[in-house]
Order: sequence, then C-alpha cells, then structure tokens
Amino acid sequence: MRKKTIIIRALLFGGAALILLFFPYIAQNRYQVHIINMAGIYIILSLGLNLAMGYAGQFNLAMGALWGVGAYTAGLLNTRLGLPFWINLPAAMIVAGLIGAIVGLPSLKVRSHYLAIVTIGLGEVINIILINEEKLTGGALGVSRIKMPNFFGFPINTDERFYYIILVVVILGFLVTRQILKHHIGRSFRAIRDDYQAAKAMGVNTAYYQILAFIISAAYAGAAGALFAHLNTYISPDIFEFKSTLFVMTMTMVGGMGSLAGSVVGGLTLPILQEYLRVIKDWQLVVYGISIMIVVLFVPGGVIELTRRMRNSRKIHWPWSPKPEEEKLEETNVSEN
Amino acid sequence: MNTTSIFIQTLIGGIGIGSLYALIALGYSMVYRSMGLVNFAHGSIYMVGTYLGIIWYTGLVLGLHVSYPVAFIIGVLLNGLLGVLLERIFRPLAKLDLMFMLLGTIGLGFVLDNLAVIIFGAEGFAVRSPLPNAPINIAGILVLPQMLLLICVSALLMVGLQVFLSTTKTGKAMRASAMDHDIASAMGIPVNRMNALTLAIGSGLAAAAGILAAPIVYVNPAMGAAVGLKGFAAAILGGLGSIPGAIAGGLVFGVVEAISAGFISSSYTKGIAFFVVVIVLMLKPSGIVGETVIEKV
Amino acid sequence: MFLKIENLKMQFGGLIAVNDVSINVEKGEIHGLIGPNGSGKTTIFNVLSGYYKPSGGKIVFDGKTISNLPAYQITAAGFARTFQNLRLFSSMTVLDNVLVGMGHHAKTGLWKTILNPVAVQREENIFIEKAMNFLNLLEVADFANELATSLPYGSQRRVEIARALATDPQIILLDEPAAGLNEIETEKLREILMKIQNTGVTILLVEHDMKLVMGICDVITVLDYGKKIAEGTGAAISNDPVVIEAYLGQEDL
Repeated sequence: MRKKTIIIRALLFGGAALILLFFPYIAQNRYQVHIINMAGIYIILSLGLNLAMGYAGQFNLAMGALWGVGAYTAGLLNTRLGLPFWINLPAAMIVAGLIGAIVGLPSLKVRSHYLAIVTIGLGEVINIILINEEKLTGGALGVSRIKMPNFFGFPINTDERFYYIILVVVILGFLVTRQILKHHIGRSFRAIRDDYQAAKAMGVNTAYYQILAFIISAAYAGAAGALFAHLNTYISPDIFEFKSTLFVMTMTMVGGMGSLAGSVVGGLTLPILQEYLRVIKDWQLVVYGISIMIVVLFVPGGVIELTRRMRNSRKIHWPWSPKPEEEKLEETNVSEN
Repeated sequence: MNTTSIFIQTLIGGIGIGSLYALIALGYSMVYRSMGLVNFAHGSIYMVGTYLGIIWYTGLVLGLHVSYPVAFIIGVLLNGLLGVLLERIFRPLAKLDLMFMLLGTIGLGFVLDNLAVIIFGAEGFAVRSPLPNAPINIAGILVLPQMLLLICVSALLMVGLQVFLSTTKTGKAMRASAMDHDIASAMGIPVNRMNALTLAIGSGLAAAAGILAAPIVYVNPAMGAAVGLKGFAAAILGGLGSIPGAIAGGLVFGVVEAISAGFISSSYTKGIAFFVVVIVLMLKPSGIVGETVIEKV
Repeated sequence: MFLKIENLKMQFGGLIAVNDVSINVEKGEIHGLIGPNGSGKTTIFNVLSGYYKPSGGKIVFDGKTISNLPAYQITAAGFARTFQNLRLFSSMTVLDNVLVGMGHHAKTGLWKTILNPVAVQREENIFIEKAMNFLNLLEVADFANELATSLPYGSQRRVEIARALATDPQIILLDEPAAGLNEIETEKLREILMKIQNTGVTILLVEHDMKLVMGICDVITVLDYGKKIAEGTGAAISNDPVVIEAYLGQEDL
C-alpha cells in the first residue's frame, strides 16, 4: 500500500514536471502560453498576499499598487537607463519592499477593517502618483517599449521563451515562501494572526514581524511587477488599480488562504477560468461573482479544502497530500468547523 | 470674485458631495453595527438604487416620465426592498471572518454591477436636473440648485433617521438589537427582521444619495466602485458603527476633497483625501467619533 | 532585590485600578498575589508584562527599570506569563505553541532561513528537543502534535505554562492557573509548580484557590481596591484581621 502510493506520487510528480517543462511545446498556440505566463505572475502575487494575509493576518490591500511599483521600477530603469531585466528584477523587489514597509507602518496602530482601508488608501495614493507624476512615469499613457530580456546573448523575446523565466521564479518563490513559513519566522507570523497579545507575551517582536510580512509580500509584488513589465513591454497605471488587488485576493481565497498550494491552484484557476468565460461575454463577471460567493459561503477554505474533503471521504492520495502528522492536525481542524 | 467667496463656494461643493458620502457611509455603519457585517457591495447597491429611481424619470421604462420626486420615492422604496432581500445572503456572511465577508460582498458587488451592464448597457448617461441648470447667486456665491437640493434633502434624511432611531418603538428596537443580539432576542425583538430593516434603510439612503446626485454626476454601472470605496473610507474616518461618525466622516471627506481639488491639485484630489484618512486613523485609530477602547488582555 | 515594584499606580480615566502598591519578590520564591475580584491583581500582571504603561511608580528587575520597555523586550528580559482566559494559538499544535515561545532565541534571521536550510533545521531540532522537555515536565508531551485548542481544559492550562517556560524566564507570572481545574488536576498543578520552583524559576501567582495558595506560597501579598493591605507568610495572612475583613465583604467566601 505504502509503496504503491509512493509510485503513484512519483508518477504524478514526474508527469507534472514533464508538462511544466515542455508546456510551450504542448500548448496549441502562443496565446495559451501567454495566459499561463500571466497565471505565473499572479501566483507570485498570490504567494505574497497569502504570506501577509493568510499567515501573518496582515491586510495588505495595496498589493496591486505595489505590483505597479515593481513594474514601474523595472520599466523605467530599462527605458531610461537601459538596464537589463536581470538587474531590474532585484531592483524592483527592493524598491517595492521599501514602499511595502511604509504601507505596513500603519499596521502597528490599526487592525482589521481599519488596516484594510488604510492599505487600500495608501494603494490609491501610489496609483495616483503613478498617474500624475507624468515626467517620471509617463502619466496615464504609461511606459512603453520596455525591452524583453536577453540571456547571455540569447534573446528571450517570445512568450514561449519567457515562460521559462517565470517558471523558475514561481518555483523559487514557492520554495522560499515555504522555507520562511516552516520555521520560527512563520510561527511568529501565525502567532500574531492567532492572538496578537499572547504573541507579545511570548517574546514575539510583533512590530518587526508585521513589517517583515509587509516587506516580503511587497518584494514578491515587486518581482511580479518586473516580470510583467518585461513580458508585456508596456505598462500603464490602470492595470495596477485596486481591482488588481481584488483579483489577487480572490484567486488566493478561491485556492485557499493560508495554504501555499492554494496560491498555486487559485493563481492558475482564475486567469484560465476568465479565458473560458469570455465566451459568455457580459455574463462573464456575473458568473465570476456568483462563483466567488459560492466559494465564500460553502468552501471558505478554497479549492485546497475541497480536495481535502474529497480525499477524506474517498481516501484517494493526491501528490500534494500533507505528511501524516499534518494531516491529522487538519482533520481535527475540519471537525472543529 | 474674491478668494473668500471662492472658498465658500468650494466649501459648499464639498458639503454637497460630502452629504452624498455621508449617506453612503451611514449604510456601511448601520449595517456594521447591527450585523457586524462590512458590506463591500454597498457601492453597487448605491448604483442599483440610482438606476431604480432614475429609470422612471428619464423614460427608460416603457417611455414613462414620472416626476422627479415620484421617481425619487420609487427608487428609495425599491432599493429598500432589495436591501430586505439581501439580508438573506448577508446573514451567513456576517458570521464569517472579515476576509471572507470582504470577498463575499465584493462577489455580490460584481454580480450587481455586471447585471446592470447587461440590462442597461455599459454606457452611462447624463441626467437632466428637475431644477434650473443655471447656478443661483446668493450674496456673490454661485451654487447649483441641484447641489442645494442634495444638501437639504440629505440633511432632512439624516435628521429623520436620528429621530426615527431615538423616538419610535421600532427605532429603539433596532438599536437594542444592534447592541446585543442575544439579549434582544430574549426580549422578543426579531433580530433578523431588525437587520433586514437596517439593510432596507441603508439601501434606501444609498438610493436617495444616488438619485439626488444623478444630475451632478454621470450615471453608469461603474459609478458605485469609487463612491462605495470613499463612503467606506468616510465611515471608517468617522468611526465605523457610529451614526454621527458616518455623517461627520462623509462631510470631512467631501470637504477635504473639494478643498484639495480647488486649492491644491485637482489631479491629486483622491490621493489627498485618502491620505487624510490614513493620517487621522494614525492619530486616532478608532476614527473621529469612535471611542478609544483599551484593549482587554 | 530581584523584582521590585515601587509605588506602582495605574489609572484608567477616572478609575484607579492600582494605587501606590510596592511589592518585593525574592529570587526563587513562590510569591502569591491574592485579593477579592477587582482588587487589581491582573492589572499588576498586565503592567509587569508590558501591556500597560504605569501611570506612576516603576518596576525594577535585576537592577534595571523595565516598566518602559515594550512587551516583547520584557519577555526577553526574563518575564513570562500565562493568561486568566486561555490564550493558546488556535491554529497551532501543542508543540508549535511551545516553539513560538522559543522564537526570540533563534539565531537565524530571514536570510539565513532562506539561504541555509540545513542550519535552520539544525536549530529547529534543538528547539524541538527543548520544547519536548517542557512538555514532559508539564506532562502533556503525548499531545505534542494535537491541535492545542482541541485539548481538555486542564491540559490546555498546562500547555500555556509550558509555553511560558519556553521563553526561558527567570520569573513566571501565573494568572489563576487553577481556575476551572478539579481537585485532582489542582493537586497535579501543585506538584508541577514545585517542580518549576526547583528549576530555579521564581513564580508570581495570582490565584483564588486558597488551599493551593496557602500550601505553596513562601510569601503572600493581599490587595484590596487596588491597595496593598497585607503581606507575609500564609499563616500570618490568614490571621490578619484586615485581610479577614476584606474577604468578609465578599459574599461567596
């Protein structure tokens, strides 16, 4: 039995790895690759939001604006100074991370819905700066003709080629997030989310970890921004309005807030779902809205919780099954609800 | 024209648009106080309410052209009815974490916004004011008649609400129910019905705001998003859950917006207004009117 | 002097919760803090652990004034506490709850956590071993991987004490650890408190269970209406007319 599950897991993992590795060749057209590239960018944003909101309990609703900060940093460094993607990516993470620290400062004073409106407000302020500082940002017209990257003389100038950059960043992002959350930093985050006062009494430097959660999530937004700027070659402020934050939040919750696999599932599902829903035109967003409500009302844990429920009832072992002890914990969790 | 009269003119504009925000903020605060629900669909409910009234006035339905006051009343009542219906959807949502409430009500907002697009089209339209279009001159200060109407009717509605809540039996029952659900239901107050009534009043006020502002702003299915967010900011600014707070928050937000548009930078208006909210909350985390609570340990 | 509370005053608006209270706690003792409800015991705890800034007076610990430090630094200085109403981290296992208390000893920062997983894991393993020791001491090691809030009440109380010990305190503030426990559990708690004292940790105990307090406290301070009304050994306190008077005012005692 045990051996069999290991083999099944290995096969599923191998299959998934092969599909991921050769996706641009399997895809029917370039547009499909583009959708998956965007999904990858959204996964990175969702990982960041999940870390801040799902784990540390900090409402970072400036996520879309911070994505914009990253995109503009990369876009402007490229068009104004001619710097390449490889420098712009870390630069965008640093700049977005710094702005993220500022956005996070109010979390030391206000919480829950008050923090939500403050971060929304600061996001709006960032967006308005992007629109109005025309000399720097190009205003409402945005920044165009951003150059795609070049890898040691090999031009990464198509969606198919860019796919591999995104794949690497997504995998790295996932592993780094998991590593951060696995040990004491992650535990301090969760302690703050579960009980702020008790966390303080346990010696958790709450202010430090709150700001850290904002900085990390903002740095992810920055990375997503640099990727987007160099993939799309054109950016404008309207892309980074509050609705982009909502989109990322929606995908994170559809996948599963507080579960990194949830970010991946949600980040893949929603952009693809959106493409399929294009067929029904105007009804697209109505269906979208209704699906959100169904998820919230009936499966608040998102798709990840749904698979867990299915697994518990049918005893199928998915490759992403948690380790035995974690599983036990989560079962008690479900029965608690 | 001298600076003082320009300033007063700007101030009146700010109070006008601030009354609009205040009426929206009241919806957020009342529903929050009675159900514990942060209703992010409220902006969309405001948009729907505007349509529910204005369509009768502009002849969008069967070519009917009822008078503006009648359209106003129809809109307010229909939107109130919508509020009652929505209580059933909000009831389970109100029991969830803030995150889920936020997303659930945002989902509802999507549905309302896009149903409006399907029914009325994405294109908006301008609405003719029932009053003369030319600004009237009061001691050298120019004011749009519709703006005056907006300010006066909003003020009446706010006073009316306060009187209703503090003097009538139903109003008192609503306040009792908001204070403690368990005790209220033990006293025989139907809590769910009180919540429905609260939602009806909140939605009715939103419709009133929308129909009054329709001749000044542009009516389209996307109109709820920005106003909804500002109304929420206003409610938080005043202290979420407080009725005087919602009114104060709305007026302050409107005036700050108008003054920064008139005297600082029109393109930075929205940014400055939000920035003021952030600053106020940093100085007084519970809002202008909200009580400072000592966190229990 | 180990811990010195000097003329402590705590005022909320017009309400004076603690009025000019001075208490000296010696190293290694179990010091009881008793008094009728609302006499200011928990308030003193909240000041000691840094949640409230005192309106007057100061707290000196090991020669250093700590009353103006933020809560987490007070914990780092050697204070740990439990809460009157259980406040375990609800999404975490018993083991994780205890590990949170050790987080501030971690040497690995963000970068090391990301770049050197082996070192982090090594540190984690040491933490886990220590945490299991505390869980063993409190006799809840069997539940290590259970969700903390799914445990029976009495065990949750013990997990809270284990979690507090994990911060490596010199003094531990226990806020009504026997509340809600039955007689057998209380007896077990008494043994555990003695064991903790033997490890060299000083205990400051707020408790309503007089049998427990009289049985294990070296010194007892009695508060009433925010004021210190008596201090001494159990025997001295229980014969003090002022104390009897204060408690007679309470109907249920």
